[in-house]
Amino acid sequence: MTVPAAAKGEPADVPDELAEFVRYCVPLTGFAAFDLHATGMARLYLDTARHQVGEKRFTTFWTAWKQAVAQHKGPQDLSPVHQEVARALIYLWYTGAWPRLAPAAHAALRREVANAESVASPSAYVEGLVWRTFHGHPAGAKPPGFGTWAVQPPAPQSVEQLRTGLGLADVPYRTGLTDEVSPDEIPGRLLPGPRISRHIPPSAVPTADAAGTPEESTA
Amino acid sequence: MTETISAEGAARRRYDAIIVGAGWAGSALAKRLGAQGWHVLVLEAGNGGTETWPGYLDSLSTYYAAVAKVPNSAYRRNKAAPYPDVLDLAPVRDPEPGRPEFTANGYFVQNGRLPYGTDYLRELGGAAMHWLGAVPRMLPDDFATGTVYGYGRDWPFTAEELQPWYAEAERELGVAGNAEEQKDLGVVTDSAYQYPMHHIPQSYLDERCRTLDGTTVNDSVADEDYALKMYGLPQARNSTPNPAYPAPYRIQGAVGIPNYGERCVGNASCVPICPVQAKSHPLRLQAAWPGTVTLATRCVVTRVRKGRDAYVSGVEYRTYTDPASPVSRSYVAEADVVILAAHAIENARLLLFSELATGSGQVGRNLMDHPTILNWALTPEAKGPIGPFRGPGHTSGWEVFRSGFGRSERAPFRIEIGNWGWGWATGAPLSNVATALGLGGTPDGSVRDKGVYGPELRRLLGSSIGRQLQLQIAVEQSADENNRVTIDPARYRDAMGNPRPILTYDLDEHVRKGLYAARLVARQIFGFLEATDYTDHAPRDGVPPLGHFVHSGTHLAYSGAGHGAGTHIMGDDETTSVVDRDQRTHDHPNLYAVGCGSMPSVGTSNPTLTMMALALRSAAEIHKDLTAARRPARLRTPQHEEVPA
Repeated sequence: MTVPAAAKGEPADVPDELAEFVRYCVPLTGFAAFDLHATGMARLYLDTARHQVGEKRFTTFWTAWKQAVAQHKGPQDLSPVHQEVARALIYLWYTGAWPRLAPAAHAALRREVANAESVASPSAYVEGLVWRTFHGHPAGAKPPGFGTWAVQPPAPQSVEQLRTGLGLADVPYRTGLTDEVSPDEIPGRLLPGPRISRHIPPSAVPTADAAGTPEESTA
Repeated sequence: MTETISAEGAARRRYDAIIVGAGWAGSALAKRLGAQGWHVLVLEAGNGGTETWPGYLDSLSTYYAAVAKVPNSAYRRNKAAPYPDVLDLAPVRDPEPGRPEFTANGYFVQNGRLPYGTDYLRELGGAAMHWLGAVPRMLPDDFATGTVYGYGRDWPFTAEELQPWYAEAERELGVAGNAEEQKDLGVVTDSAYQYPMHHIPQSYLDERCRTLDGTTVNDSVADEDYALKMYGLPQARNSTPNPAYPAPYRIQGAVGIPNYGERCVGNASCVPICPVQAKSHPLRLQAAWPGTVTLATRCVVTRVRKGRDAYVSGVEYRTYTDPASPVSRSYVAEADVVILAAHAIENARLLLFSELATGSGQVGRNLMDHPTILNWALTPEAKGPIGPFRGPGHTSGWEVFRSGFGRSERAPFRIEIGNWGWGWATGAPLSNVATALGLGGTPDGSVRDKGVYGPELRRLLGSSIGRQLQLQIAVEQSADENNRVTIDPARYRDAMGNPRPILTYDLDEHVRKGLYAARLVARQIFGFLEATDYTDHAPRDGVPPLGHFVHSGTHLAYSGAGHGAGTHIMGDDETTSVVDRDQRTHDHPNLYAVGCGSMPSVGTSNPTLTMMALALRSAAEIHKDLTAARRPARLRTPQHEEVPA
């Protein structure tokens, strides 16, 4: 996988470190550097990731990720622990919160912080990218106006359109999905299942069972 | 804005009326009585602050920063005036058969078979600070379920008697609605009636659901067919003033900032907090309190004091400075009338601790809620996104299962068409991100090998979030003496020394059948919409979801609706009810207990509107009481009486 050229969508006066951070977050998030900078969250997210993973281990991860990009690879080609860190970083961009990690990754990283979900800052929640994937807005912010909910939102862009927009169109393979997934048959493992109690943070909600799983009790 | 004084200041005067609690009912009563010239003291246990704009923004920020964006997430916990939270409940792994499948670790002590999953808030404005703003009227037959359908308790009066008070309440709350639809539904009987504001636009999803109008659904539990017909929801939310409304109606916006919040802009976060205050809340009424009303916050009433004969003389209360470590002093305030308006469970707790209104033995009994079953599905990709997570929480519903003789067989239910995707059921859309990425590990803790990233992630989320449909179905729970609030001051007290409520709660067979029927109906509706049903209430890895039970061999689960009711229900017979039709306690002529606690039944309507209608009705009665008590003694003999000019 390649990353877009530095000149594309990069504001002036951004420190090199931050510019690089954003550039290599483009293939992770699927959002353009322009969009990532526009959140105003790049500095906070880099600092949060360093704090959560530990300065040294984050550097190791980051080096591995840059190497993978240089070799046209994706997060799925990283070591399991680094793959989990990449996921956490994407989750941070998408929701504004640092997630709960797989306990094995938490242990391997010897983290000094609790393995619990936390929101990076009140404004980070508002800048979450997930809302933009379905033409929405964060609940409680950026309201679209009276009556807008009566109109059908546009359909999401195709992967090809997204790739073209990101300058990643010529990359030949899928990022994480080995097979074509029909939107009408999304496997349960890619969807959230029931949140069995309200104190379960979003990052710890189990995956769904296949649709139409019998609800009958065997008891 | 009204005068706010300290606890000490409040204790120095004598009042015509003391109101305990500054939520909807308390604020409306204070406004009415104050306007009639009565000196009213309102004691609020929780913090103030949100009546200022910076204070309100602080609440909004607290909500943004919360991991679990539950109804109380915009407010900080308060040890001095603690309140229940939906986060207090946790499921039990591998529960023993017949034993409770949950633990309660918060303000409530719970010892029932099933969890009481409803919260409230002790803050200026009360739980109304996080309510949705849904204000449907109750159906005429809801007032007489015992007579008509053979279950539950009858009201001491009819829906017809409440009609003018409903209209008053809709004015005070500021309701937007479609009057013609509500007339068709039979809940508005005045053919000329109009709501103060035009109805809130219905969502795109509603329009898709409207295509099912006329479709027949079979309810196999009641063994009846029902034809679907969608109705808009009346809401206490600012829209456009209705010129047909008989009296001029000026929209009220935000409190603490001028010219703001005069129309809903679609923040889609009514619960927990409307950022612009286009959703109505009690701070609006408080802003209109006349100078005769005095407010004291951080004043936790501990008990009502007995006076001579059957009368009460006032209340004892404590104040605090630091909500985290309360150190308090006790004060007494006196008044001719004491009105408890502190929430059904708080009212019961106060009556029990004060050992008042004990005659019927019904205080604390008949605790109710609207057990709500969630159903969730994905609509087909070919028809495009349905636009979840936009607009008010729900703008339409299917009402046909609320009435009719099916009610004899199973509890009635109201189907809310949810505008906020799978948020309630699954924590979407944030949990969608985590599961699509493969975050969090396998059940044994190792890192998952599969996940989706980059453009594919964005595309997958756009599709799988954009088609999320959730039907939340609220089922009527009728009065049952065994569902109750008790106290045990020797064992369970809060940090300030007040007794904590002990709840004993269960669902009877009638309610369980209602939840089961609702689930079966939702399945059929999903089928009509060609939606793929992902509803799942089965235990996962040995852990049952909260509110789990098995009915007819099917795993079901319910959530609390935040509709705490019962506990001091009204009736004409003092041996079987706590308050009379005016919400005056049978045992004490100058002690009122108002709020949802007085309701003998809750039907399938969100209870705030009915509660407000009752409160306004009681305000008129209390005014009469006070006037009678103050009538000057007659000093002249009858033969010298002057003839009016």
